[in-house]
Amino acid sequence: MAMATASPTAYRPSFWRTLWTNAVMAPRTSLGFMRVDFVLGTVFVIPLTQMVFFAFVVQLGGGGSSAIAYTVVGNAVATVTYSSVFSVCQTTDSEKHQGTMEHLLVTPANRFALYFGRGFIPIAISLATVAVGLVYAVVLFGVSIPASTIPALAVSVVLTAFAMVGFGLLLGGVALYLRTSLILGNIFLFVGLLLSGVNFPLSSLPLPLQWVGDALPLTWGLAAIRSAISGDPLGTTAVLWGAVALAAAVSFGAAVGLWKVFERRALSTGSIARY
Amino acid sequence: MATAVAHYSRSRATYSSLRLSVLMFLADPQWLIPSMIAPVIFALVSFELFRGAGPYFLTYAILGAGMMSMWGQTLYGSGWATDQDREFGTLEPTIQSPTPYLYVVLGRVLWNVISGLIGGAIVYAVILAVAGGPPPVTNPVAFALLFVFVMVTLASVGVIFAAFYVYTRYAGFIQNVGEFAFYIGTGCMFPVVLLPFYTNPVSLVFPPTWGLDALRYLSIPGYHGFSWGFAWDLVGAVGTTVAYLAVAGLVFHRVERHVLEVGNLGWY
Repeated sequence: MAMATASPTAYRPSFWRTLWTNAVMAPRTSLGFMRVDFVLGTVFVIPLTQMVFFAFVVQLGGGGSSAIAYTVVGNAVATVTYSSVFSVCQTTDSEKHQGTMEHLLVTPANRFALYFGRGFIPIAISLATVAVGLVYAVVLFGVSIPASTIPALAVSVVLTAFAMVGFGLLLGGVALYLRTSLILGNIFLFVGLLLSGVNFPLSSLPLPLQWVGDALPLTWGLAAIRSAISGDPLGTTAVLWGAVALAAAVSFGAAVGLWKVFERRALSTGSIARY
Repeated sequence: MATAVAHYSRSRATYSSLRLSVLMFLADPQWLIPSMIAPVIFALVSFELFRGAGPYFLTYAILGAGMMSMWGQTLYGSGWATDQDREFGTLEPTIQSPTPYLYVVLGRVLWNVISGLIGGAIVYAVILAVAGGPPPVTNPVAFALLFVFVMVTLASVGVIFAAFYVYTRYAGFIQNVGEFAFYIGTGCMFPVVLLPFYTNPVSLVFPPTWGLDALRYLSIPGYHGFSWGFAWDLVGAVGTTVAYLAVAGLVFHRVERHVLEVGNLGWY
């Protein structure tokens, strides 16, 4: 019987092809909640309702216009978690559920291109979500965003979207080892509201909780966005950009690392793809 | 020729549905999020936002988060169960079974009420620990009774939602996009009268809006809710809840008939 061996000329998809295919296909396959209606709801409805809810809570608590402005900006940015973390994190569940995890694990495709490609559409949706949220903040809540701050704000928003999607991929990597990723995605959907300075400054929390908050990319992204809006000197905002970029790099790096570890484990035990 | 005799009872169907809901809750940790973890986080956030606003704002935080716990279970639990039935292919046999689907849903809704109460108790315990003491409540027994009744008002909404979820393939969409809208519309964390006046009629369609307002009148001295006050709030809550429950039977009957006629129940 002839034994099949891998030929050096065997087909191996290019980095860019893998990246593009995943960017285009993932929203239709493995990314949870990526139908058009979900996307429109995520971009236009969720930021509005979440901002209105917390604005009224602040108003009831006696908070003035500055407290309301603080909260609505925080929530405008925090809603990015739905598309970037919650949705991306669910890729693992989807692969297991659809029975495609085994095929994915044996594919020769470049892993970084594969995982990063999946984050493309969520990054775009995250950008749209934050942009729409900030428009609501200006139009409905009277938050002042001077035109001169928009370039710095744009950089902050883009970096935050990358960092949050990286964090979503990281959680998806962790979820490879779990039965379901839903719980992780959900926890981080809400935890940011408390620990990332969304509704009140992080300094109001006990020190250990502040440390946890500091480990979340949303905290740094939000700080950079607030800094840009308030027109801080570029040097101050740039330091925060560095922190967000570092959070993004660590998240993407750790995500790829985790997937590699669990892939090896999967191939040796054959059990990781079980749902 | 021996013929099979169908033995079924509605109470048994409800009990089995309740039991299955409990088992699925225990087996799938994701349910801890909407019913217990998220409300605790909302309670802590609102506690921080209300800090220094007075002792009665503790009641706002506890009531609001407790209601959100139940809302979470109602919104997510009912929709998820029907969606899962559809995906696993068990929705058609369930609807075709001799027991009306309403009694299956009733078991799920009962579990939503129970888990909502557990979630409310957890919220209470956490806020108690953080605040260092209980909120001042003038009449604890009446408060507890009314709280349970408000849970029942939410359950009545859950039954109607469940009927709607049989029709729609957008349960997930409604859950995710509607979550905060329901919290706002029914005044979970703040009085509905704070909202623009023209939104009030929509809010009043939901029984929990009336119940929550009554609960705040009972527990918060000087509370400014709907101008008609506690007694009419109570009447409104009972009236809308009875209307929901009365309509539920009719709606389920029609939904069941319609989906069996159309035959597209299993389409996902």
